[in-house]
Amino acid sequence: MNRTGWMLAAVTAAALLAGCSSANSSSAAGSPATSSSDSTAPSFPVTLAASPGPVTIKAKPGRIVSLSSTATEDLYAVGAGPQVVAVDDESDYPANAPVTKLSGLTPSLEAIAKYKPALVIASQNSNGLVSGLGKLGVAVLIEPAAATLTGAYDQIMQIGQATGHAQQAGRTVAAMKSEIAADVKQARESHKGLTYYWELSSNPYYSATSSTFIGQIVSLFGLKNIADAADKASDGGYPELSEEYIVTARPQIIFLADNQPADGGQSLAIVAKRPGWSVIPAVKDHEIIALNDDIASRWGPRLPQLVAQIAQAVEKVPGS
Amino acid sequence: MNAIVVHDLEVDLDRAPILREVSCAVGSGGWLALLGPNGSGKTTLLRAIAGLIPYRGTVTLDGPAAEAGSLRPRERARLIAYVPQAPTLPPDMTVTDYVLLGRTPHLSYLAGPGRADRDGAARAAGLLDVARLGERRLDTLSGGERQRVVLARALAQEPRILLLDEPTSALDIGHQQSVLDLVDTLRRSTGVTVVTTLHDLTTAGQYAHELVLLNAGRVEAAGPATAVLTEDRIAQVYAARVTVSTDAAGNTVVTPVRATPR
Amino acid sequence: MRMNSRWLRAARPYGIAAAFLAAAMLISALVGAADLNPLATVSALLDRLGFIRLPSGLSPLDRAVLFEIRLPRIVLCALVGGLLSIAGAGYQGVFRNPLVDSGMLGASAGAGLGATLAIVYLGGAGPSAVPVAAFAGSVGGVAVAYLTGAAGGRGTATLLLAGVAVGMFLTAVQTFVLQRSAQDLQAVYSWLLGSLSGATWQQCGEILPYSAVSTAVVLLHGRHLDVLSVGDEEARALGIRPGRTRLIVVAACALAAASAVAVSGLIGFVGIIVPHVVRRLAGTSYRLVLPLSMLAGAGFLVLADTLARTVLSPAELPIGVVTALIGSPVFIWILHTTRAVRT
Repeated sequence: MNRTGWMLAAVTAAALLAGCSSANSSSAAGSPATSSSDSTAPSFPVTLAASPGPVTIKAKPGRIVSLSSTATEDLYAVGAGPQVVAVDDESDYPANAPVTKLSGLTPSLEAIAKYKPALVIASQNSNGLVSGLGKLGVAVLIEPAAATLTGAYDQIMQIGQATGHAQQAGRTVAAMKSEIAADVKQARESHKGLTYYWELSSNPYYSATSSTFIGQIVSLFGLKNIADAADKASDGGYPELSEEYIVTARPQIIFLADNQPADGGQSLAIVAKRPGWSVIPAVKDHEIIALNDDIASRWGPRLPQLVAQIAQAVEKVPGS
Repeated sequence: MNAIVVHDLEVDLDRAPILREVSCAVGSGGWLALLGPNGSGKTTLLRAIAGLIPYRGTVTLDGPAAEAGSLRPRERARLIAYVPQAPTLPPDMTVTDYVLLGRTPHLSYLAGPGRADRDGAARAAGLLDVARLGERRLDTLSGGERQRVVLARALAQEPRILLLDEPTSALDIGHQQSVLDLVDTLRRSTGVTVVTTLHDLTTAGQYAHELVLLNAGRVEAAGPATAVLTEDRIAQVYAARVTVSTDAAGNTVVTPVRATPR
Repeated sequence: MRMNSRWLRAARPYGIAAAFLAAAMLISALVGAADLNPLATVSALLDRLGFIRLPSGLSPLDRAVLFEIRLPRIVLCALVGGLLSIAGAGYQGVFRNPLVDSGMLGASAGAGLGATLAIVYLGGAGPSAVPVAAFAGSVGGVAVAYLTGAAGGRGTATLLLAGVAVGMFLTAVQTFVLQRSAQDLQAVYSWLLGSLSGATWQQCGEILPYSAVSTAVVLLHGRHLDVLSVGDEEARALGIRPGRTRLIVVAACALAAASAVAVSGLIGFVGIIVPHVVRRLAGTSYRLVLPLSMLAGAGFLVLADTLARTVLSPAELPIGVVTALIGSPVFIWILHTTRAVRT
């Protein structure tokens, strides 16, 4: 084929792809202007609704700095990997991300400026990040911990729009949704109403209720969270439970989010040895699942893996 | 004209009665000595005159009825210099700075000491022979030097009334005499009125021409030395055996007597 | 001639302290995580002075880093360091006690409680709620301590003890509030540890009026503090009102400390150590100690912050850690090499 022929083929293919993705690209958090259904429409400049105020990105950012491990995963999932020049010290996935000593919790404005970013993504606006970098002409997108599953999808969409990968973001989200739906469907019907206890830490025992992000994910399976009854408004969804409470509630599944040595090093064996815990159905039936802490504490593209792990655990429980 | 007139003074401290029905007066440019055994209220009387404690009765200063209690602190400080028995000497302050503190009543609220103030302080230090100690820190001075430094501070105030509580207790006999002589010279030349407590009865008689003997918060006797210092009275008030005589210059001399010979 | 040389001698300590501050600020301007070229930085700074025109070798981004990120931080550091030092020195004078710090009388505890309440209950009101709450808490803490202490009878010991009691009470309330809402722990403790990152020109402008008023009032009462050093009764005999002087100086110091704490969080050590060092080097007269502490404290905090943001770059050490880690050995060295001062 001559050159014109190749170009025609390319444009046709792009149009076809755009047509497919437009069907399921949900509009990201209130963003106007860009419609990912037409790939030839200019996707920049784009204004995104974010906190503390709307963020305008003038052109496709060639240099991106990520200060959030979830945002890093999102960036690579939507195909913005080549634009990423630095990620914070906690971003360990994917392995080829350019990890630096930048801190997401206490960012140093000067250190970030050294990377000459066009866009910085962080999970909290600490140390005056937004206004400080704003004075340098750098756009800052704050993507805080998602409160709902929809919120997590919206963040991925927003990051896609911010980096010029709206289409791939849409595809990623679609894939996540269908994977999760499939896992949930399979496990849910036979195991509705199972009770579970989600452990964040032991001694003191902190748990997450079903109103939290992680709790909502587990609720997809129709499971009941034993911490819900103990939650008070001031706990914000993370109440401290007493051992008596947990034992009396007799959860059928226990999820350990504190199995990494740094978080407490809990495991099935250790939990089984806790005095008085042997009466708990979850202990008796060995329904104690140690989760990958990284995946369980993030709200990024690896959520389907978390869901799959939960689904696996749920299905193992002898039929209720 | 009377510099100080005390009338029916009553003072309570911590609800305990300290002074009752105290009345005395001293003429302008005169020297009044307060005498009495320990705990008789001498210091309290001095503090009341200085306006530092609340009292009942009247203390009138400097003729035209300026009631001591009604004066503002700065006005009173320009009139009265008070030297307590155990003054607080900030250990690291230099002598110069300490004497300069005496100029405080003459400085306006926000002002610092000026040339005139430094000169005045230097003069006062010179009079007490402590000028050469200028940059020394107060905690490096001997007891006698400290007492003279405190007096220099009082003189730097250029007061009309000097209230001195045991001003010579730490001084040897030579320095005691020179300090008292100095105060007397000042009194004669500038007309400053002096009120002191002195425990040495003879010295009191030599320098003061008006004595007030306090006993348990009341005035036991008042008047010139010859009238106040009698053997019976001293025996009764101090429970001490003395003989009282007169020396060649006419001063009353009180001599202690041993009960049993050696 | 004699007047001139005496004036020069008197001005010397100020000159040295001012030079120290200027040097600290210059050094701080030249270093940082952004690795700006020092020579280019100097010419950019000179160029800014207006009457000098120099081509700056800095890129626009670097210029923005220097003038919008680094310089406001340096200036805010100097302000905060000066405020904490003069507040500490003022309190030490009022209470005639060398162990007194700028956070006394419930100032630090009140600020901590205010910030905690703002973070826990007013999280939605935005980051601007915290400084205001900290300021209000700090001033409020001192007011409560003063009212309870001055009411219990005159005398500085009573006031100090009241301050200790009020401080402990406020801290206990803060701990209670924090314990009930564990998810705010990190936010509160990072504020408590003190930090000057994210400093803006706007913050400098906001605390400038309070700084000016409070430091002016304290400085003007230096002579009064010297008189107070002979004790309340003798001070009264010299014509000043100890109670009123104490009230004015405490109020001004509280305002100074509150302004500093509002923008920087709790930074300890500065208010207690800097005045001591100044006393060792320049004598104990508060007329000197107050302004010199201000200048020296400003320079000290600028240097401490420089270390805090460069030693483990790009991570930042909490500045309260640096002031203690650096300040302690320096203080001990000064203790050994200068004469004893019993204040």
